[in-house]
Amino acid sequence: MKTGIIVDDAAIMRLRLREILEPDFSVVGEAGNGDEAVRLCGELTPDFITLDISMPQTNGIEALKQIQENYPEVRVIMVSAVGQKRLVIDALQYGAVDFVIKPFDSDRVLQAVHRVFG
Amino acid sequence: MKVEHANIFIMSAVHVFRKELGIRLSRESLSRKDSPLPSMPISIVLGITGAMRGQVVYSMDTSFAYNITKVMIPNKLPMERKQFVNSAVGEIGNMVTGQASIQLAGQNQRIHLTPPAVFTGQGLKVDFLEVPTVCLRLLSEMGILEINIGLLDGEGM
Repeated sequence: MKTGIIVDDAAIMRLRLREILEPDFSVVGEAGNGDEAVRLCGELTPDFITLDISMPQTNGIEALKQIQENYPEVRVIMVSAVGQKRLVIDALQYGAVDFVIKPFDSDRVLQAVHRVFG
Repeated sequence: MKVEHANIFIMSAVHVFRKELGIRLSRESLSRKDSPLPSMPISIVLGITGAMRGQVVYSMDTSFAYNITKVMIPNKLPMERKQFVNSAVGEIGNMVTGQASIQLAGQNQRIHLTPPAVFTGQGLKVDFLEVPTVCLRLLSEMGILEINIGLLDGEGM
């Protein structure tokens, strides 16, 4: 089973994303900010992460750059309310494989992760 | 602060409350004031920088906040749910502001949001910006949502 990390500063969204993903994937960690996300990618070597943008300390775009630089094998799916066209393009250019805008349907999140692994 | 900005926030709030919570919002009133100081016990404050700058402050009653949390995580017991109330209303504020930022930013601008800060209780001691503010009150069957929008054009506008 593929392993993933959920990164969101809102505990309630981490809980909901875990409930959506866990039947199909193994969620091995959670983080509430970008720094912690980068650290967990090194420690837990997940297959994928879901990454919020607006977070304390290091935001999701900065974390995405660091993850792509240090752990390029980790597939990153952005899950954020800040779905501005310019930021979506930034995220995809920096290596994210998909961008899910909140509020989301559960199926949209699940499909985004499944699609990554063909 | 342009009136069309207020309309963008109304549409965003209506969209988020319907899609995330299944709650229908309708407009009750729109007024102007000198700062985004909220009037109800639970407040969610987001800062905005980039192509626009300022603050957006959401405000609601405690019972409305609990009901929002119940809808978001219906399977949790009431005692477990209690610890997620601030997170739930903060995330709703983040979603409404994020949705509005999509419209405000247009094709080429970037608008950055601070993570939401949630304050509870009356007598709030927070330094709100002194900026011309539009205060929206939106009605639902669960309670009133107040949105105080204090925005100025930022860099590149």
